[in-house]
Amino acid sequence: MKRSIMINEKDNTGTCFAAIKAGDKVNIVTPSGEVVQEIISRNPVPFGHKIALSPIKKGEKVLKYGEVIGVASKAIRPGDHVHVHNVESAIVPGN
Amino acid sequence: MKKETTKFLGYERPDGSVGVRNSVAIISGGNCSNELAATISNQVKGSVPLLPDFVCVRFKDDNERALRTMIGLGANPNVAAAVVVGIGCEHIGMEEIYEGIKKSKKPVEFVTVLDSDGYEPALEKGLAAARRMATEASQMQRQPFDLSHLSIGLKCGASNATSGIVGNPATGIVVDRIIAEGGTVIFSETTEMIGAAHLIAKRAINKRVARQLTEAVDRMEARIKATGEDVRGSQPTPANIQGGLTTLEEKSLGNIEKTGKAPLQGVLENAERPQGKGLYFMDGSAQTSELVVAEAASGNQIHIMNVGGGISSSFRGCLVSWSGGLQTLPVITVVSNRSRPKDPREEEFFDIFADSIIDGKETITQVAERLFQEVIAVASGKLTRSERYVPHFQMPLEMYHTGPIL
Repeated sequence: MKRSIMINEKDNTGTCFAAIKAGDKVNIVTPSGEVVQEIISRNPVPFGHKIALSPIKKGEKVLKYGEVIGVASKAIRPGDHVHVHNVESAIVPGN
Repeated sequence: MKKETTKFLGYERPDGSVGVRNSVAIISGGNCSNELAATISNQVKGSVPLLPDFVCVRFKDDNERALRTMIGLGANPNVAAAVVVGIGCEHIGMEEIYEGIKKSKKPVEFVTVLDSDGYEPALEKGLAAARRMATEASQMQRQPFDLSHLSIGLKCGASNATSGIVGNPATGIVVDRIIAEGGTVIFSETTEMIGAAHLIAKRAINKRVARQLTEAVDRMEARIKATGEDVRGSQPTPANIQGGLTTLEEKSLGNIEKTGKAPLQGVLENAERPQGKGLYFMDGSAQTSELVVAEAASGNQIHIMNVGGGISSSFRGCLVSWSGGLQTLPVITVVSNRSRPKDPREEEFFDIFADSIIDGKETITQVAERLFQEVIAVASGKLTRSERYVPHFQMPLEMYHTGPIL
């Protein structure tokens, strides 16, 4: 099974250890290797890219490392690829 | 629960600090005496040359920083004894370096060409001192010490999409453990904090430390802006975005993930020694060779270098250059994502392979345990990959400077 890591328990994104195809089942694992969630990918997610673990409304915080890495620029559904097309920086305008 | 205490085997110094190496340092005061220092070191077993790239055409701040660096490198507990050599007319005085190192109570002597009857007598004096010190150092024995005697430096380079989810989090776990057992960890790279200073500032133990961090980052950003460049607008880079990094915050957080979760105890000037234990930030650039030297001048005995990957093992020069040419400092190199298919030559290059996390063969926690055990082994004398190579030439030590050069 393909895996994506949730580095911090607060995170609403996981970072993928493999290239993922739409419809793939993905195990969400913690740093100690525990599988905490299974998610079905809605889009292709390249290696090293993020997948959404829960719904994130437009304007809501996107979390990785237990910290805010940006805000959702449009609604994000669980299993969506999370990247520059649906997230923008909270500190660098327009980025 | 009983507090866990790990021990390593080190060399006790007269000031109570503990070395993980036992070198006699032949310290040159500047470019003009580098050849003399190297000539002495080449002829004395157990000695290493510390040759700064320093010329007498810098301004006050940079001279003071250079002085602090040279004193710090000599006072570093990995150095058993030091011979300071110079011409005798340098801007950073030989006597000041000598007096600074002497405060650590270890054996130290200074020799200048001008105070001797010329070059040859200075060389003879230096050789005699170094040989005597090397003999004394050779009789010292390693003894067990707890981790409150250990200080580790951090830096990452050749970062890629895996650095922030593989090598850096594993290093962060090791950092937390070393600090929990009373140790010290120093990280730097002020340039990498631009736009993200608030993320690390909130870990500061008080407002003063938080303000010092923010000020150091603001100063760096102002200096960069003065050149007409804007770091914020160019980060993350197109290659970063292609690799999966979405925002500047994410890139910066991936970088500071290697610092673990401990509170930030203080902000140090470049090459400044911390007054306490725990996690410290040191002002400096992100240039590896320069930063490793400055962190060692702050007292670090071991350096952990995190590499994303994609570096060919044929870049053997990196083994030497990553340590800034500093032969008194063991550097443990961690790679997040090794070459695929496996390049067997990389076995020579990296101390810790963390790509097992990507393959699902090991967890981050397991790799962190392996790295922690490696730190203890290296602290107790195990040679790192880079230490096994005696460089054919000694790179001059680079020093952080903020002013122009005349």
